[in-house]
Amino acid sequence: MHFRFSVLATITAVAIACTGPVQAADIPAPKGTVILTVANAQHAANVGDVLQFDRETLAVLGLETIETTTIWTDGKQVFEGVPLAVLVELIGVETGTFFAAAINDYTVEIPVTDAIHNGPIIAISHNGEDMSVRDKGPLWIIYPYDSSSKYRTEVIYSRSIWQLDRIEYVE
Amino acid sequence: MPPNTHGRLKTGRTILVLAGLLALVAITVLAGNVLREFKSQSSAQSDNLQWGLSQIDVEFLEFNGRLSAQFHPRDIRRRYDVFYSRIATVRQAKVFADLRGSLEFSNHLSEIEAFLDDTVSLIDVSDTALKQNTTQLAALADDIRPVVRMMSNAGLNLFAERADAQRQAVTRTLSQLAFALAALILALGLGVVYLIRLNIQISRRERDQKQTATRINTIMKTALDGIIVFDEAGRITDFNHAAERIFDCKAIDVIGQNMGQVIVPDHLRDAYNAGIKRMRKSGGKQGLGKGRVQLEAKRADGSLFPIELAVQSATTDDEHIFIAFLRDMSKQVADQAELIQARDKAIAGEQSRSKFLTTMSHEIRTPLNGLLGNISLMRETSLNSRQDLLLRNMETSGRLLMSHVTDVLDIARYDRGKVEIQTRPVNVSALLQDIVDNQSGMAAAQNTTLDWGWVGPAQHWINADPDRLQHILMNLIGNAVKFTKQGRVSVSVQWDKGRICLRVEDTGIGISDNLKARIFDDFVTGNTAYDRDVSGTGLGLSIVKRFVTRLGGEVRVQSALGKGSSFIVEFDTTAAEPTDVDAAPPPVPEKPSVPLRVLVVEDNEINRFVVRNMLVADGHDVSEAHNGQLGVQIANEQFFDLILMDISMPVLDGRKATVAIRNGNGRSAKTRIVALTANAMAQEQKDFLAHGMDTVLTKPLTKPALRAILEDVKPVIIQPVTDLIDVTHNLETREVLGAEVYEVLYAKFHSEVTAFSSWIRLDRAFEEIAERGHNIAGSAATFGAVALRVALLKLEKAAKSEDHAAVTVAIDELVSLPSDTLDALAKNTLTAPD
Repeated sequence: MHFRFSVLATITAVAIACTGPVQAADIPAPKGTVILTVANAQHAANVGDVLQFDRETLAVLGLETIETTTIWTDGKQVFEGVPLAVLVELIGVETGTFFAAAINDYTVEIPVTDAIHNGPIIAISHNGEDMSVRDKGPLWIIYPYDSSSKYRTEVIYSRSIWQLDRIEYVE
Repeated sequence: MPPNTHGRLKTGRTILVLAGLLALVAITVLAGNVLREFKSQSSAQSDNLQWGLSQIDVEFLEFNGRLSAQFHPRDIRRRYDVFYSRIATVRQAKVFADLRGSLEFSNHLSEIEAFLDDTVSLIDVSDTALKQNTTQLAALADDIRPVVRMMSNAGLNLFAERADAQRQAVTRTLSQLAFALAALILALGLGVVYLIRLNIQISRRERDQKQTATRINTIMKTALDGIIVFDEAGRITDFNHAAERIFDCKAIDVIGQNMGQVIVPDHLRDAYNAGIKRMRKSGGKQGLGKGRVQLEAKRADGSLFPIELAVQSATTDDEHIFIAFLRDMSKQVADQAELIQARDKAIAGEQSRSKFLTTMSHEIRTPLNGLLGNISLMRETSLNSRQDLLLRNMETSGRLLMSHVTDVLDIARYDRGKVEIQTRPVNVSALLQDIVDNQSGMAAAQNTTLDWGWVGPAQHWINADPDRLQHILMNLIGNAVKFTKQGRVSVSVQWDKGRICLRVEDTGIGISDNLKARIFDDFVTGNTAYDRDVSGTGLGLSIVKRFVTRLGGEVRVQSALGKGSSFIVEFDTTAAEPTDVDAAPPPVPEKPSVPLRVLVVEDNEINRFVVRNMLVADGHDVSEAHNGQLGVQIANEQFFDLILMDISMPVLDGRKATVAIRNGNGRSAKTRIVALTANAMAQEQKDFLAHGMDTVLTKPLTKPALRAILEDVKPVIIQPVTDLIDVTHNLETREVLGAEVYEVLYAKFHSEVTAFSSWIRLDRAFEEIAERGHNIAGSAATFGAVALRVALLKLEKAAKSEDHAAVTVAIDELVSLPSDTLDALAKNTLTAPD
């Protein structure tokens, strides 16, 4: 509940700042190191035909916190990141698939329908710290595994890609 | 269904249900296990981890492959980082905890981590430095390469093992599940079988119940008896057709109503309610009629009628019911009443017939006795031979008629149940000899031989009723002789341990089969030309039959027509000790030497005549009275040695007359009185004795019997002289005066004395007492009545001196003295020679 308010607050803050809904043009081209590139991001592209984020521009989309255990860690973990739903909203699609790829070119398919409220986030911090590549950074798709058994399946685990740096939208 | 079957089914059902439940629980648990297995499969992410594990290899190769000069240091660093992150994951992830538990895996992991620790300082440097470190890194990587391979292999092996174990567990669980399912299916199958069986049973029971109900309904409908079923409260629950008919109402109208209101009459209502109450109290065990009872019931229209009622109780599951079976007894009761009436009429008819027979035979016997008595008297007169023959014929006819009458009387008595058996020792041999002797004349007349004898050892003395036995044998032997001409009649007697068998065989005309069947019936006579010569009432054999039956024995006949007959009599008895009583019959007494004064009280003139003549012929002095009243009068006035008293007489019968004489304090009050009767039954004889008679003489009167009676009578002995009279003086007076004058004077004296004794009382004038006493005392002296004279003089003296006490004493002495004196004088005169 708490993080939902913060999301709303963030979105509202952004909306007030930009005097309008979040638009492609609203995402500035990253000034720092690009940590995420969204290909085929429709009208939301900000660098050429892709949409690129650095840590700051990604954080502007609004951060949400998920507290959960994972099969790759030991004990309760706190992840903070941008809900996938926000990204989906940003690029303005309702159907289709994301092809999410990691640094080592490992790629998984995430259907757009996974991107719901209280669903998966693109985590940018783990237990309050940014993630290095050695700690499965810079980005890690985290589902709220503890909230529902439907998030504790092989498919969901395979979609929980870490060391993420690219996403391609395919209709 | 009997309770045990019920119980068995219940147990079976319980076991089945338990088995099913057990199977179900097992299935639930196992299914849970399976689900958990699958869940752990789905959430163990073994595929993902396996992939992740193998990816360590891949990532290491990627890293290793970039350790050459042509690759940018950034690229090397990234690959290193990726590899690093993988190892970190293996170290941290809980999913690898199992793997980390393996020593081999753990060692390899530690080695790799040591490699990472060693190399991190070579990586985290500037690009230039990294470039320079590449060779060193490659060397280190080459060293660690087999370890990475071994670790991932070890991991994969462990995964494989774990998967195997898991598969086995699943297989096991699935097998168990299958087993449980099979058990459940079996239980369900058994349940189905059980249900089918139950269903069959239920439907059979239903069918049976339906049949039973139909049958019961049919029985109830068709029953001729009324059937009413009611509950403990008395409410009618069933009312069959017959009941509707009997009570003249409809079942629908009475069902649910109270039994008491519907069929119980008002006057029985209280008793009925009490019965119901008792019944309810005792749970239906009491208050029911015992068996069938006759009661009154009420029809719908209120009319009452008799019913026969039986009530049975039955217990159903939840209540007692009562079943009343009723029968309308109106007709039966009416029939019964009619039958009783008919029976009463028949009994009355039988009684009047019997009474008629008895009376008639008595009425016939009385004149017949006269006839026979006269014949007997006539035989004592001088007769010529022709008269003698005629007289003999008359006597024969008379005796035959008498025996017929006696037969009829016997039958009548038997049928009135008045034949009494008096068992005492009987000499069978003597009895048979007597009868044979008696019948031998008749047999000889027909040229028939008559004999008798014992078969086997003789048992002369047995216990039996001699009169009945004689009667039986007399009739059988008489019959045999009667129906046998120029043949033989033989009587045999056999004793066999408490049973005597008497057989009368003849070679006579025999009996046809037709006749044989009813030979022992009343009034049966043969009907052949031959036996027209033979007379009979046809009662002889029926008397035999009755008497034999009365003795507890049986009589039967064997016969062939024209060849002869055998009559066999058998009865149980006991051997007896010989007695002397019957051994020697008393000899016929001779004419007595002492003359007696006899009073004959008899209404029948002829009988009186006969008796008088018999007595007079023997020299006795006879007085007569022709009825009981006169007999009493005479007996009171005069003294007699013997009174012969007829029983049935007009005015006063023999019994009452005897009582009157005995109680009358007359002169013959103590005289021997002999009943003279044709009713020779023991019961009646006892009755006569009870009325004060001394013995019984049976008519027809015979001289020997009469003499035997007179033998017993001792003439009254005359009182000694010193007491009452001076005999000699009296006889002298008589001699001096002459008999006639004496009698006249004596009569005067007799009346004087009698008058005085009834006159004398204490309240008479003393002067008159003295005078009359003096006069009679003078007469008494003349007749030799000394005691009387002394007493009278004493009275005279007392009266003259007016001594009241002395007079009283004197009168007391004179109470019986006058009559005693007169008796003594009369007796004295009798003995005097004329």
